Amino acid sequence: MATTLQDLTTLADTAVREISGAADDGALESARVRYLSRKDGLITQATKQLATLPASERPAYGQAVNEAKRRIEAALEEREAALRGATIEKSLGESADLTLPPRRIRLARTHPIARTIREIARVLGSLGFEAIEGPEVEWDYYNFEALNIPRDHPARDKFNTLWIGNPLGDDPDRPMLLRTHTSPMQIRVMEKRQPPVRVVVPGRCYRFEATDATHESIFHQYEGLAIDEQLSMADLKGVLYSFARQMFGGEREVKFRPDYFPFTEPSAEIAFDCFVCDGTGTANAGRCGTCGGSGWIEAAGCGMVHPAALRRVGYDPARYQGFAFGGGVERLAMLLTGTPDIRLFHENDMRYLESV
Amino acid sequence: MPSLRVPLSWLRELVTVDADVATIADRLHMAGMEVDHVERTGAWGDKVHVGRIAALEKHPNADKLQLATVDYGNGRIKTVVTGATNIAAGDIVPYAEAGATLIDGHTGQPMVLRPKPMRGIQSEGMVLSAKELGLGEDHDGIMLLPKTLPVGQLLQDAIGDAVIALEISPNRADALSIYGIAREVSALFAAPLHAPAGDDLSAVLDPKLLQVRTLDEAACPRFGAAYLEGIAIHPSPSWMQERLVAAGMRPISNIVDITNYVMLELGQPLHAYDATRLHGHVLVARKARAGERLRTLDGVDRTLRSDDLVIADADRALGLAGIMGGEDSEIREGTTVVALEAASFAWRGIRRSTDAHGLSGSSGSAAARRFGIDLSPALVPIALARAARLMREHASARLIGATDVYPKPRPRTTVRMPASDVVRVLGADITPKESVDALVRLGFETTLRDGTIETTAPAVRTDIGIPEDIVEEVGRIVGYDRIPTRMPSGPLPVHEPHPFERAREHARDVLVGAGLQDTISYSAIDPAWLTRLTADGTPVAPEPLRIVNPTTASQSVMRPTLRASVLDTARRNMRYRSGVAFFEIAPVYLAREKDLPDERWTIAICLAGRADPVRENETWLSPERRYDLHDIQGAVAALRDAMRASATGTATRGAPGMHPGRSERIEADGRTTAVVGQLDPRVAEKWELPEETFIAELDLAALLAEAPKRPAAATPPRYPAAIRDLAIVVNEARPYGEIERAIAESAKGTVESVALRDLYRGPQVGPGKKSFAVRVVLRSAAGTLSDEEVDKAMRRIQGRLERQLGATLRG
Repeated sequence: MATTLQDLTTLADTAVREISGAADDGALESARVRYLSRKDGLITQATKQLATLPASERPAYGQAVNEAKRRIEAALEEREAALRGATIEKSLGESADLTLPPRRIRLARTHPIARTIREIARVLGSLGFEAIEGPEVEWDYYNFEALNIPRDHPARDKFNTLWIGNPLGDDPDRPMLLRTHTSPMQIRVMEKRQPPVRVVVPGRCYRFEATDATHESIFHQYEGLAIDEQLSMADLKGVLYSFARQMFGGEREVKFRPDYFPFTEPSAEIAFDCFVCDGTGTANAGRCGTCGGSGWIEAAGCGMVHPAALRRVGYDPARYQGFAFGGGVERLAMLLTGTPDIRLFHENDMRYLESV
Repeated sequence: MPSLRVPLSWLRELVTVDADVATIADRLHMAGMEVDHVERTGAWGDKVHVGRIAALEKHPNADKLQLATVDYGNGRIKTVVTGATNIAAGDIVPYAEAGATLIDGHTGQPMVLRPKPMRGIQSEGMVLSAKELGLGEDHDGIMLLPKTLPVGQLLQDAIGDAVIALEISPNRADALSIYGIAREVSALFAAPLHAPAGDDLSAVLDPKLLQVRTLDEAACPRFGAAYLEGIAIHPSPSWMQERLVAAGMRPISNIVDITNYVMLELGQPLHAYDATRLHGHVLVARKARAGERLRTLDGVDRTLRSDDLVIADADRALGLAGIMGGEDSEIREGTTVVALEAASFAWRGIRRSTDAHGLSGSSGSAAARRFGIDLSPALVPIALARAARLMREHASARLIGATDVYPKPRPRTTVRMPASDVVRVLGADITPKESVDALVRLGFETTLRDGTIETTAPAVRTDIGIPEDIVEEVGRIVGYDRIPTRMPSGPLPVHEPHPFERAREHARDVLVGAGLQDTISYSAIDPAWLTRLTADGTPVAPEPLRIVNPTTASQSVMRPTLRASVLDTARRNMRYRSGVAFFEIAPVYLAREKDLPDERWTIAICLAGRADPVRENETWLSPERRYDLHDIQGAVAALRDAMRASATGTATRGAPGMHPGRSERIEADGRTTAVVGQLDPRVAEKWELPEETFIAELDLAALLAEAPKRPAAATPPRYPAAIRDLAIVVNEARPYGEIERAIAESAKGTVESVALRDLYRGPQVGPGKKSFAVRVVLRSAAGTLSDEEVDKAMRRIQGRLERQLGATLRG
């Protein structure tokens, strides 16, 4: 029991020595407990002694206790720092096998079709086109009739249609089908909205078609539609230029050539100059595999919305004009990801999906 | 789209144009006549020439061989050994020098000609069969060339040709002919057009010889015919045969070939009858009688529909009008008198008949393909006149007379429009004069007065009707390259928010971020799959929509559930890997009465097999384990968390096709909105999947409905928490959820969270019991909790656990 001032000095000396010699954090901690524990540490005990002393001795004794405590705390802090320094020093000397497989965070990838649809919607969104969606199972009316393709029309040959039977009963006057293109949404949107209209419609489409490396009977399309008072084919060309450049970069050129769709007049087919060979048709000293050597990538059909279609939805063709365009999502996805066979998109082989 | 093969030599006969074939093809393509490809017939190179047999003598050492002396100009004379017997001195034949690339007449493979001795005499080159030139299968003799060919010319220049293979839009019936394409070329190159020559048809046909009638003016608006005598049937001239072959048709004999030739040239199909076979000297266009039968040229006995239009004589149907003739009245070898029909048929009826008789598409006739689009009646007399001339020239025919029944002539289309419409629609600076020039070049009769264009389309242009059509014509001819690029201006359209699509894509990102692979499978599936989703085959989803005309049985119904699709995806991937973790977001199609189906977007998640953390087989940092129930529940919980969706609805244990004890179904508003858990192991077996395969199916709309419109932002707590650990012993049957709920409810406003730290079964708690080690975090928003407040809350918790759940708390 440290009862004298000398005792306190001795106590502090012993403690400082002990602390300075502590070999590790454990030894240091037990020294701290022995001297400074609030319950029964030696310093705590000494502090409790204070009350038993005569008043005259108290100031000197109190001062001595405080001094002893200060020295012990300082020693603890110093030793702690020294030990920490040694640990860091030791750690710095170590070296790890950096080639061991890491604790990798598990990630997966968005399906290339979903990603391409997002990209299309993003690019056209930046041009003011609102992305909307519509039904895959559709009435003949929206898929054909309202788009100037009545029953038996020669243009139907191009759209090999898959027809739907409803288990709850068919209505012979209202045939149901799997939409062959996203164009029915042109009519649905115009029926619901008043100009100005600017939408892009991505979605799944279906055709009765033999499947091969570039054709699927179930596929995706995107459809753009803009209606306003002063739109021309020049605006259509501008939008598609911007689309091509945002999708495929650089100074992509867009080529227009006349084409035929019953629901646009005039109609055109658009092609981008190939983003791999820059339109030269040759890549790696051979025929460019991306465009097949033509230098052009046919991308979409387009045209000015047919006045009859405008009239059918109650727009005045004398006041409003517009353009529409549509193309295949898979085609863009194949180009963007270098996917060689369209069937890979629906096969869902993880080895493929994890690679794109 | 209808296709058309245009031999360049034929085209050049009808339009004088200097441009080479590549340029012509490119301009046509860029003007809307889609060029599929250009092929050259006879690119034989500079070693194959037009030769003349100067002399012929027997091979001294072989009975069956001859020595031919071939002169191929410029004093070049060679001796060739040949086995052919069809040649004589003076014949013009193809001759190949050594080094020429030919087709081996026996193997059909390409070969390079090398000089070789035959029975002791060196053959200096070769005279050639058609087969060796790749011009056909004939290898019996040497190909005899027209005597008019210049000796010494390269053969490819003498008889070689190019063919432009086009796809014609179905609105351009006028362009489905060589002359139609010549009209386009003429307009594009401002080149002179030459109409094919025809004979005068003004001689009136004696009705006693032949009468024509149309009994259905809508289906057959025009019916013309010519009557020709003195016919001699023999093969058509070789140039005509070559053109037919180049254009894709098979030569038969002069009369039939001429009808095909004129059809290819002008677009108007013709039909020739042996006039002696016609009963009653009449040709009538009428609807078929019920049950009427006809054996068509393809040898098929057909029962006609009352909707079918036929050409008949006084007694019987002779052919399906515009589609296919009958056997009985066809031209035969002894035919000397021909009744030649050129008529016009409404496309809709033709299409319905071809569909009904299985004669549409590639199995259809060239005539039906033309009549199936809107072919102009104006072609009728032109084609008759042309055919009469060719029959006179090549079948010694005498035209006796012609007739033409056309009760309601179709007027030509006239469009009046402001010239400025061209600029308004195209956005290109095209002057009115340019527009007029383009139209005139296309044969439109056009005037420009006070800024108004008035233009009348050629009769063959049945596609023209509105000003936009005229704008397109101008655009095609001046070139779409003239259209500048501009960005749309004008007021911004109203944009509607799309919370559903946003939520869907958010869910996709969350799941991908959680390491689940995004997949997209076919939305049409095999109906047999739906019977493999439960142990006994009862369906898990309503009866699907059927595809009436599927491409394959494996895609013949619209999926009413995603489960079969994800199980198929899992199965196919499990063939080569030990575990899968993926999802699909797609609509399911639920039939509705008298309406389009409900397309309900659904999220399906599948976990099966080894749960290797990231890479297959890599376990050094994490022990091997397999996916379990907690994984699939965890994926769903994380998704709900990310979307801030609170689980609502009623949970029931088990679901169809799922493990009865290890799955859960949530229902809200009378619909199943979620199924989560282990697949019925018997179903897993059917799909060759691990016994423990885990599935979640979530209705996206329901998930979105559970989510708040905007997040409720939490501010970090200001006062410290008190933490208490409990060991709660309950009967085995007691679910953990009740414990958590009891704790939360017994100290509302104080219990911040309850966390399960361990689940123990064993000797320390005894049989039939289990112990949950739970950490309770207590906190008040009003201030620091005192020891008394904490103790009071813990006593309430303990009381409720003991009272309500029969729990005991271990020390």
